[in-house]
Amino acid sequence: MQRSVPLTICLVMGIVMMVQFFSPHPFSRGLLETVNTWVRLISGFALALGAGSLILHHTTKIRRKQPGWGYSIVTLSALAATAAIGWAAGPTMMDNKQLLINVIYSNIQVPLGASMFSILAFYIASASYRAFRARNKEATILLLAAFLVMLGTVPLGKVVWDGFPKWSRYLLEIPNLAAKRGIIFGVALGTIATSLKIILGIERGWLGGGK
Amino acid sequence: MAEKKSLWQALAGIDRRIVYLTLLVVLVVPLILSLGLSVKPMKDVSQRVRQVFEQVDSLQYSGMPLMISVDFDPASKGELQPMLYALLRHAAARNVPVLVLGLWPNGVGLAKTALEDVGREYGRQNGVDWVFLGYKAGIDAVILGMGENIARVFPSDAMGSRLDQHPLMQRVRRLADVGFVVSLSAGTPGYLDWLLYAQSRYRVRMATGTTAVQAADAYPYVGTGQLRGIVAGMKGAAEYEILNQQAGFRQASTPAIDAMDAQSFAQFAIVLLVVIGNVGFFVAGRRRK
Amino acid sequence: MTTLIPLVLLLGQVAAPATDPPAPPPVVAPSGLKALDTPNDQGKSLDLRWAMPDGAVTDSFVIERAETCRVATTVGVVGPDESTYVDSGAQAGRVCWYRIGGTRGADTAWGEFSAGVRPAAPRLRVAWAGLSGAGFDSLVVQRAETSRAVTTAGSVGPEESSFVDEGVLAGHRYSYRVGAVVGADTAWSEPTAEVAPVPQWVDWRLLNIFVAMVVFFAFIVYFINHARKGRELFVRRIAGLDAVEESVGRATEMGKPIVFIPGIGSAAAISTIASMNILGEIAKKTAQYDTTLVVPNSDPVVYTIAREMVKEAHAKVGRPDSFKPDNVFFITQEQFAYAAAVDGIMVREKPATNFLLGYFAAESLILAETGATTGAIQIAGTDAIYQLPFFITACDYTLIGEELYAASAYLSREPLLLGSLVGQDYGKLAILVVLALASALYLLSAVKGLQWLEFAFKALNT
Repeated sequence: MQRSVPLTICLVMGIVMMVQFFSPHPFSRGLLETVNTWVRLISGFALALGAGSLILHHTTKIRRKQPGWGYSIVTLSALAATAAIGWAAGPTMMDNKQLLINVIYSNIQVPLGASMFSILAFYIASASYRAFRARNKEATILLLAAFLVMLGTVPLGKVVWDGFPKWSRYLLEIPNLAAKRGIIFGVALGTIATSLKIILGIERGWLGGGK
Repeated sequence: MAEKKSLWQALAGIDRRIVYLTLLVVLVVPLILSLGLSVKPMKDVSQRVRQVFEQVDSLQYSGMPLMISVDFDPASKGELQPMLYALLRHAAARNVPVLVLGLWPNGVGLAKTALEDVGREYGRQNGVDWVFLGYKAGIDAVILGMGENIARVFPSDAMGSRLDQHPLMQRVRRLADVGFVVSLSAGTPGYLDWLLYAQSRYRVRMATGTTAVQAADAYPYVGTGQLRGIVAGMKGAAEYEILNQQAGFRQASTPAIDAMDAQSFAQFAIVLLVVIGNVGFFVAGRRRK
Repeated sequence: MTTLIPLVLLLGQVAAPATDPPAPPPVVAPSGLKALDTPNDQGKSLDLRWAMPDGAVTDSFVIERAETCRVATTVGVVGPDESTYVDSGAQAGRVCWYRIGGTRGADTAWGEFSAGVRPAAPRLRVAWAGLSGAGFDSLVVQRAETSRAVTTAGSVGPEESSFVDEGVLAGHRYSYRVGAVVGADTAWSEPTAEVAPVPQWVDWRLLNIFVAMVVFFAFIVYFINHARKGRELFVRRIAGLDAVEESVGRATEMGKPIVFIPGIGSAAAISTIASMNILGEIAKKTAQYDTTLVVPNSDPVVYTIAREMVKEAHAKVGRPDSFKPDNVFFITQEQFAYAAAVDGIMVREKPATNFLLGYFAAESLILAETGATTGAIQIAGTDAIYQLPFFITACDYTLIGEELYAASAYLSREPLLLGSLVGQDYGKLAILVVLALASALYLLSAVKGLQWLEFAFKALNT
């Protein structure tokens, strides 16, 4: 029962939505809107589930005084404080930059997010240095292509050689795009096949394991 | 006793901290010194960016507004925020009204800051020259809903004022009343959702600004005419700022142009490090044989 | 003689006719105007087509829409117990309809319209039954007559010969006329017959997708049956998946944990489902060898699935007691906060093996490079095309695109899953054949004498 009900729902809804795709009738479109609304409602509950999981995990860590439990106190305090501050600000909080929630957003979330993204620049450098070695034919082609594209996409590359931007664009728009399209085809077909297996109940990983 | 590393082995295995430090120096120095070396090579702006510029420019004749969808968060701010400012300044200089919304919840704060900054620079008024719709969950439902009736999706703007109170919204009821849509997109949801729901169903004229990584994926849509241009990465943003400069528009700052030298030098540094690593790799390998 | 010449010249000047400005071109009305229901839609538009004679000049076309609609007006209000009303305002000879509404406070509940009636005289007695005692405050009598509302549906440029009117409602009847505009003059076409937009149940434009879907499903079902009958199916080696066993063994020997990162995708993402399948297989091996498996999650629903997968895996190998729920946990949905937390786990725990399988965005390199710095062996797999270069650069093995989806079949070797994998590949082959054929037809149709191949290309392209 625990498995057969979700599998039946999956089968029925999978077939219904497949049929819906081919029908432009307002009844079909209305059905799509209704299903989308339900999906949004259900995914809203995931937020509650997420918060609950986070609180449970960290309170367990604090209770058992596992390594790093001090950080769990920080996490839970930050969660509670931000939620309370945001709730107190109300729905028109965009209007007032002085509100604490906006101060937290502008001065903590924005710089932290941008900083984490900036780490990528350094990681790209160290990953490139380590990985771009001409060990064999394929690696050499990869290396030369990387040089061409790196120098072709910056303005000063044009100063070194006029041809960098042109050949870089060629490489990106023709062979690179062709290869990407091949991968996209494969991914799309794999998605269809996996979806069919899920609808038919052959693939049951999403149920959490077991037969 | 550990074997002493030869020079070539050392070159093939430079400590990553030295790599990071090199990159840091190469990025920071041009930003501080503002060398301006990249401006001249960018004078011939790419056709794709020019297409977007011309589409926005043409709105001054029709009086139709520009809609900007801020589909990015602070992480992608470096590449996409300069595009947002450049577009807003262009619209302001040509007296084109602007509607701004976001499909990413974390991006609307950035959008509001940009609107207010450019509003102050050009003396633009909320409700008349710009309306900030804010964020709404739903992606496809939001875009499809706006295709029929914007006020039904956004009964009030992000600041809580009823949409029908704004003079601009008296003549902008649905997507068909918008002259041009630009989706500044860092991922999903993004320009693909606008293409799927707005462009294909409501025939909205649109373009996109994307991160450099994603840009190549958008090229085929330019070929088919579904996208009327792409502003790709920080270089694209710099080219747009150059077009603004060439047109004589006031720009309080040009962050993308300023960052181009740093980006160029960083790429050169990475190429040099890779070359050094390969030289060390080959010579050390040969000596071992 | 000399006086005669000027007179002749003068006469010539008087007698020569004045030059009139050229006559404006005649305004020619469009012909052959047809209004048809737009096919394959929701019933919200009508297609118009017309033609202009050769050489006819026009500045633009304006399209006018006329709708015959029923407009109801209130003709009287009577008490709740009445059952008749005499309407003195009806127009003799004009069809009209009646309906009765019962009011209760500010609300009115309306009945259906009666059948149409053509009164012979302006006085008409309207009768109804069954409304007394229904609890209404009063009864309202309405009369509806047809009315013709004419609006401008749109205008198009002089080079156009068609228009799609999307301002119509399903079931309402409309007729059209198109005017060719030259300056201040407009020449109108003959009006069309009335037409109503009708919603269709089937979008026939998607027939090619339906056929492709049926063919693809047929391949999959055929090969699943083929595999069920016990027949051997060849699947090529996937280096990344072959390395799973080896990397789990490495972690066991070194006594270090394995970190499995299922990405930031939701539970609905196919790549996340594929990732969970691989997690199940890996969890079985780690349960057998008593190796620590740490699974940090970014999505709360994925976290619950991952927990069940690992718990189930431990139960399957007969070691339910060895499952540690604390090792499978939720961190945060925020992308870079998740990456920072996982990086911290990698740097502190120094795992022997990292699996990065699922949907990733910009945090992919942050995770992969940090893992590389700790010396772990890394197996990555994603269907996010932009992240593949970063994984290829920073990881030891990368599953590209559909190789991730193939993993569950590859690792478990279950016939049903293997069969669908082979079916999928045959589907891809079919697409390749069609692509090659279409490209060849298109290229050959450019050769002189072979232009007829363009029809074949267009047929294939539909």
